[in-house]
Amino acid sequence: MSAAVAVRPRAAGVRLWVRAFPTLLRIGLAEALAYRAEMLVWMLTTTMPLVSMVLWQSAAQGTQLGPTKLGSAELTAYFLLTLVVRLSTSSWVLWLLTEDIRSGALAQRLLRPVHPLLGYVASQLASMPLRGALVLPLAIALLWNLSPHSLTHDPVQVALFVLSLPGAWLLSFLSMTFVGLLAFYIDSAAGLFYVWVGLYTIFSGYLIPLVLLPTWLGKLATWLPFQYMLEVPVRMLLGWPIAGGARDTVAGRLAALQSLGIQYLYVGVLLLAVMLLWRAGLRRYAAFGG
Amino acid sequence: MDKLEQVAASAIRVRGLCKSYRVFKRPGGLWPAVRSLWHREYEEMQAVRDLSFAIEPGERVGFLGPNGAGKTTTLKMLSGLLHPSGGEILVGGYTPQLRQTAFLQQITLVMGQKQQLLWDLPPADTFELNRAVYDVPRAQYQRTLAELTELLDLSQVMKTPTRQLSLGERMKCELAAALLHLPKVLFLDEPTIGLDVSMQVTLRQFIRDYNQRYGATVLLTSHYMEDVEALCPRVLVIAKGRLRFDGELKSLVHSLRPEKRVTLRLPGPAPAGVLEKIGTVVQSSGTQAVVQVPQAELRAAMSYLLDALPVIDLTVEDPPLEEVMRELFAETDGPAAKTEGAGSP
Amino acid sequence: MSSPMPTTLQEQVPTRLMWRYLRLLWLQVRMSLISQLQYRWNFLVLGLMQVFWLFVSAVPLWVAFSARAAAQGQSMANTELGGWGLYSSMLVLGVFSLLKAVLDGAINPSLAAVVEHIRKGTLDFVLLKPADAQFLVSTARFEPWHVLDGMASLLLIGYAAHKQGVLAVGAGPLLLAVTSCVVLFLCAILMLYSLWLLVVCAAFYVVRIDNLSYLFTAVLDFARWPRAVFKGALLVVFTYVIPLTVMTSYPVDALLQRLQLSQALWAVGGAGLLLTISRFTWRRAIRQYASASS
Repeated sequence: MSAAVAVRPRAAGVRLWVRAFPTLLRIGLAEALAYRAEMLVWMLTTTMPLVSMVLWQSAAQGTQLGPTKLGSAELTAYFLLTLVVRLSTSSWVLWLLTEDIRSGALAQRLLRPVHPLLGYVASQLASMPLRGALVLPLAIALLWNLSPHSLTHDPVQVALFVLSLPGAWLLSFLSMTFVGLLAFYIDSAAGLFYVWVGLYTIFSGYLIPLVLLPTWLGKLATWLPFQYMLEVPVRMLLGWPIAGGARDTVAGRLAALQSLGIQYLYVGVLLLAVMLLWRAGLRRYAAFGG
Repeated sequence: MDKLEQVAASAIRVRGLCKSYRVFKRPGGLWPAVRSLWHREYEEMQAVRDLSFAIEPGERVGFLGPNGAGKTTTLKMLSGLLHPSGGEILVGGYTPQLRQTAFLQQITLVMGQKQQLLWDLPPADTFELNRAVYDVPRAQYQRTLAELTELLDLSQVMKTPTRQLSLGERMKCELAAALLHLPKVLFLDEPTIGLDVSMQVTLRQFIRDYNQRYGATVLLTSHYMEDVEALCPRVLVIAKGRLRFDGELKSLVHSLRPEKRVTLRLPGPAPAGVLEKIGTVVQSSGTQAVVQVPQAELRAAMSYLLDALPVIDLTVEDPPLEEVMRELFAETDGPAAKTEGAGSP
Repeated sequence: MSSPMPTTLQEQVPTRLMWRYLRLLWLQVRMSLISQLQYRWNFLVLGLMQVFWLFVSAVPLWVAFSARAAAQGQSMANTELGGWGLYSSMLVLGVFSLLKAVLDGAINPSLAAVVEHIRKGTLDFVLLKPADAQFLVSTARFEPWHVLDGMASLLLIGYAAHKQGVLAVGAGPLLLAVTSCVVLFLCAILMLYSLWLLVVCAAFYVVRIDNLSYLFTAVLDFARWPRAVFKGALLVVFTYVIPLTVMTSYPVDALLQRLQLSQALWAVGGAGLLLTISRFTWRRAIRQYASASS
């Protein structure tokens, strides 16, 4: 009956996601601003690196620890940097995801044409500017206080460090998403997550610099992915040789590059695992209802 | 306590009550949200202005008013939860805001949308806890509980965890929990909200029974006109924080809309012009017609109608309360508060 | 208009009042227990998690001592951090863990309950009751599975005490040591409770910060190390402002029979001071709540 009207074809699939993403980010940013007080409190609750630092400073008093001879100054630098990296790359998507699955809000997200995981990515990324604003003064104060000798002078290693930060964030985000998706299958994935965090605290360098672990634990640590979430970026910026030896050498650069590669390899593996689990879990979710 | 003290004990006196508080303005949009990080704007809100009334012991009074009128705020001030910004309150001789133990033991507040029952446990446990908190002697407690269980039909639901009860069952238990200590003053804030019709009727009946049996004073706020019509001979109308009317419900209706509503059933549509002669036509379609007739002209209108039209059936009623209320609330700074009927200021 | 009615019932007599509150406490604990025990699986899993965490937290201490021992070419038993050896440090960790079990089991859950009340608007019901609101709020909820990590902490304390040689002294000195340790531990609980109450009062003003309890626990984390680890300004802060060292190191000092009188006085006096300050702040917060909310 009506004349044909030229209509712009509606975008679908990936093109829609790309178009919708900036809006998602903007909304996420407004949300982050609304929750700025919570964010500040959350940042203040990350005291573990400082708690560890105090212990290790005391343990290294008047002596140097481990095969690489770490003194109080080195350990201070290590843990302060751990704090900065942790604040910049950690994620809380687990709580969002499990809450949405439990409350049925995930069903609503599924009705939208944008992939739900993208929504979570957007909200986490959107918190970055605010986190950056809170962390930046801290980082500058640290850099001011540490002796210039503590950090690496090799620009390549600094660049590699910067590249490793998104990798660390992705590892954190994806591992949390993976555990969160397990909530499709088991009622409380919280128990599993505790075990994961327990392993993380020991093997990522959060509580103990990995080089100081007793030999059998240290060997185990090298095989696990946790170090790539925290210790590896920190060591890059500190210029600590990854495999022993002098600092700021070409060998050191190569080792750092290799670590970066392995980090992103783990990212790929986790991404695959998440996608598979998402598909499988979604089928189960649809079968049993939200 | 002697009779005179008892009489004073549940009287409520309010004079010049005011309540205002500051609210942050929360602007929308991204840039204002960022700006609010360092610059906060306040607004002064007047919830209640210069309220004055007196309620005698044993009265049942309804607070009527649109949303945000200040009814709940007033109720909270009467129970001591909020401190007034100005004016005086005396409930049973006590100043509520001081929250003296003896005062708290005499009152109860039931809020329709919130509950005090423990969620994971059966209501019976909440009853037990309240008994300990209010320090009710065991014999009296058993007696009261037995009566309440019978009146509200609680024997089945009392032992079921609260989270498994329906809204109506929860509300009944909520009322029981609130009355275990036999308070002399009941503050009921929208108690029937969300309940089905039969449950509403049950609750109204129960409140009336309680009032008659124990002589307790009842203050009720509600959106449902049926609650007020069924329970409260006297109403206080509050709009925008001010008292607009204090007196009998009937007087309110008559003073606002001194008209009657006449509903006619006719064999066919009424001829044009006939209905308009006697009053305002509300509806005229098919076999039914509704006309609003001024009270004073009712007799003349009735005889005219019966003469002029082949009336099959005719009913005369007050206009629906809802309409009257809507009209009252629609006034912005309307007529000054009218005070009539029962109660002295 | 008319004079206030005479106070009714049993308000006046102090002993009667105390019995009333004890009975209320018993009822609240019982209700929490029944409530939580409905989720039996939770009980076991969460309890075991806590025990797991206890061991995880002991690892850095152990590794630190062994690294220091290796660097100094000594045995672990002879290494110390400012006068604190491995086993006395473990004692501090044990006391910390026990304190945390009390915090997580008896103190923190009520905070979550209060914040929930404020959010849902049901705090009004608490304020309407003719019993002290602070008491009702502090006893609102308990999480009984922390009994498990409480027991694990006691085991750790027992083990470390044995290794440290605490138990080798005669019966008399041992009794004195244990008693003074227990007294100081009770002071620690009171201090912890007062600090917690101050945090709850903050929740009245900034209701949406319901992860304030995490902040509290995070700062408390510093108390896991013996006080020798803190130097200078940090030591002053952690002794007199947020008395973490008082809470965990002093009881151990008492157990090792090296507690000084000034320390004991500050522990007891500090607990009393904090209790008073927190009670005062609580009353202010309630008044503020009553003036400002709608």
